[in-house]
Amino acid sequence: MQDGVVLTTVDDFLNWGRKNSLWPMTFGLACCAIEMMATGAAKYDLERFGCGAFMATPRRSDLMIVAGTVTMKMATRLQTLYEQMAEPKYVISMGSCANKGGPYWQHGYHVLKGVDEVVPVDVYVPGCPPRPEALIEGVMTLQKKIANERLLRDKWVKHA
Amino acid sequence: MLNELASLINKNIPSAKAVASIPEDTKLDGSVTVETSSITEVAKFLRSNTEMPFNVLEVISGVDYLEFIEVNYMFAHFDVNNMRRVTLKVKVTDRVNGSVDTICRIYPAANWQERECFDMFGIKFNHHPDHRRILCPDDWEGFPLRKDYIAAKVYNTMELYPENKMNMADRDFIVRQDMIKKAQGEAATKA
Repeated sequence: MQDGVVLTTVDDFLNWGRKNSLWPMTFGLACCAIEMMATGAAKYDLERFGCGAFMATPRRSDLMIVAGTVTMKMATRLQTLYEQMAEPKYVISMGSCANKGGPYWQHGYHVLKGVDEVVPVDVYVPGCPPRPEALIEGVMTLQKKIANERLLRDKWVKHA
Repeated sequence: MLNELASLINKNIPSAKAVASIPEDTKLDGSVTVETSSITEVAKFLRSNTEMPFNVLEVISGVDYLEFIEVNYMFAHFDVNNMRRVTLKVKVTDRVNGSVDTICRIYPAANWQERECFDMFGIKFNHHPDHRRILCPDDWEGFPLRKDYIAAKVYNTMELYPENKMNMADRDFIVRQDMIKKAQGEAATKA
């Protein structure tokens, strides 16, 4: 009987499940998307970390990897898609353009200076574009963040 | 080849007043300038003549010279034995209501190219079947590739230069802001 029992907290169990089945939304906007595809493909294989199931709809995904230049025209659409995602939801800002406007920070008349102007960002991945290893590092950082969350206390029964 | 083409156009369409400009440096490409009002006829002629036909429209682009805006049409002929390419230029002097006739019905590829030219330079194309912006949002103000374009500070509640993100002590940024202020002052005095 003792061999068949595993003890854990509900929080840890939920977090373990959530962090190892992050479903990212396909949100490739520019050249960073090529690196994101490479990360998802066979050589770097994002599926090892449980987040290789790129969904083409915001309703089924809980991680948005904003990969590339966010123009002001796209920003409104990005905001809508973020609102359509189900809670709890996370955002990784990938590459210099999504972080701070990148090479367009000064003369880009149409580029948003960082995606955090419109949606809250959890992890920033620097690089232009970041290598797949860098994106994997970003994903693992997010997983560590999720592992330390106390979802039941902080989010769901906060006002109880 | 450009001189032949210009004389051929002039022979068939006298109102076009085609002028070939051939640069001294042979590495550079020359061009043929025609009258703005005759562009539809010239395009029709280039497509349908038998002596020197052009069956492909490669690109339509614009150049802002401040005194006038130039619309460049690049035509090509794809034929194994007989490849040729030409740049056709028309000038638009009116910056507010300047317009060129569309060549969509002759070269269907011109549809989106003309829309892009309108989007970036504000040149209107008469009788265009779908005359809208193509890249910028519909409610965008101004035409970005014009020399005197001043970027709007706020679009749709999104700031172009959020103060907490800009290094206001950066020299390049200050120079740029001064240029914008100067241009705005000039625009205000003109108005």
